Amino acid sequence: MIPEALVLAKGVSAGDDWVTVEARNVHDALAGLKDDGYRLLTFLTCVDHLADSSAQWPARYEVVYQLRNLETRGQIRVRAFIGGEPPHIDSVSDLFPPANWEERETYDMFGVVFDNHPDLTRILMPDDWVGYPLRRDYPVGGEPVEFSEEHERWQTAPDKA
Amino acid sequence: MTDTVAQGVTITKTGETGAFGGELLTVNFGPHHPSTHGVLRLIVDLDGEQVKRLKPVIGYLHTGIEKQMEALRWQQGVTVTDRHDYLSPPINNLAYALAVERLMGVEVPPRANALRVIMSELTRLSSHLVWMGTSGLELGAMSMLMYCFRERDTILDMNEEISGFRMHTSYIRPGGVTADATPRFLDMLDDFTHKMPGNIDEYEALLTHNPIWRQRTIGIGRLSAEDAKVLGATGPMLRGSGVAWDLRRAMPYSGYEDYDFEIATSDLCDCYGRYLVRIKEMREAVKILRQALDRLPDGPVNVDDRKMLPPPREELETSMEAVIHHFKLFTEGYSVPPGDVYVAVESGRGENGCYIVSDGTHKPRRVKFRSASFVNLQALEQMALNHMVADMIAIIGTADTVLGDCDR
Repeated sequence: MIPEALVLAKGVSAGDDWVTVEARNVHDALAGLKDDGYRLLTFLTCVDHLADSSAQWPARYEVVYQLRNLETRGQIRVRAFIGGEPPHIDSVSDLFPPANWEERETYDMFGVVFDNHPDLTRILMPDDWVGYPLRRDYPVGGEPVEFSEEHERWQTAPDKA
Repeated sequence: MTDTVAQGVTITKTGETGAFGGELLTVNFGPHHPSTHGVLRLIVDLDGEQVKRLKPVIGYLHTGIEKQMEALRWQQGVTVTDRHDYLSPPINNLAYALAVERLMGVEVPPRANALRVIMSELTRLSSHLVWMGTSGLELGAMSMLMYCFRERDTILDMNEEISGFRMHTSYIRPGGVTADATPRFLDMLDDFTHKMPGNIDEYEALLTHNPIWRQRTIGIGRLSAEDAKVLGATGPMLRGSGVAWDLRRAMPYSGYEDYDFEIATSDLCDCYGRYLVRIKEMREAVKILRQALDRLPDGPVNVDDRKMLPPPREELETSMEAVIHHFKLFTEGYSVPPGDVYVAVESGRGENGCYIVSDGTHKPRRVKFRSASFVNLQALEQMALNHMVADMIAIIGTADTVLGDCDR
């Protein structure tokens, strides 16, 4: 189990158990859970709580890990809140191999930097993409649509236009 | 480092020496290769014809579905969930609908649950049929595609009958289903459940003992049970490695605990094992359909909650309250209590889940789709190492990834 000292808060949300830990303790907490039989990382993602000052979500980025024990069928959600620009958190891809791509996706979409990740590059967006699409201050429809009659305009880089 | 470009394939010499004294070459496959089931790109290091390293490159079908969900009201999001795993729309709807219902504390009526099970199993069948048809095509059994698409078309006809759409049905929505099953739909389903076992016998006659099919799949793409678990594989990938894990049995939803069916597993751990698992799953799906049809309960197919689902059309002409409810639902939508929830369902490919964070407003704060294809694809390198290039095609085929699901 997670050592009690690492747990900041715990509770149940709509039937799902969750615990909150300090971001710097995520690797230790997940290692503890893995030893306890939670060997499947179902998914890993991030939630952007931009401009929300409620006590429920104390920092802008919430990194969420959903773990499952295939023997007891138990599930637990581990969450860690991080701020800063760029936000940093330890990678868990050494504990759970599927986290490799999930962390790359979270980096690609939210700009969360996973320290000690073997290959932290964009996975869904092109390598030269600017910005992190799933952040809440990234506008929907903010991308210019490229029409062939304007090709001279969109072939010029925006900073040189 | 010299690049040779022939027929669209770029080859780069790596400078490393292989086991047979030759040089390792880096070869790019795809993204627009017909055997990659969508637009998957693979960067492969080859020693002669043997795969020594393999790196999948994804993202070519990224459509920003999770971003779009944040801009849509709760009831509008259903239409977007159809479109990530485009071979199993009702199962995606179901994951989303169950997640929203759990946050709202809503239980759907028994008839809605039975119809949800029927649509899920029909979808599983149609998804496996597309898989079998295209995999057969790739591995030299070309007539499979004709046989499989014949039955798939029957399923699409049923989709059309019950929901009005052939593929992106949006049939299952939070609070119930869009419409009750018509008598014609039930007749079609009855007919289908009688004919389908014979059709599956036909597929087996074409493939199970087909020497070419067996040579192309037996012993190819081995994934041990331990590796499958470590790599997070789910669905037929995990069950094809002998692990009896099925969310319909392990964590039942929509009343699956009341149906009598077996979990299909195979200890072969190879491409042929995964094929046997899917054949068995198709037979079990027909069994579940038969049971659901035989004891389809009567009653409503939606929750009786005017704050969540619009009133019937006829009430609008006589009731002021109904007009207000209608207006509020279609301008503002409903709000979901704050909190987060994760619900997983078993799709044809494995665990397709939906993680929702609500901040109590009429739009979700975050919707994350856990897609089986995305996780299963990471096991590709493990399965394809030291196999021939042609075997890699068999391995991609039996992994059954849908790239729309993978990239979302």
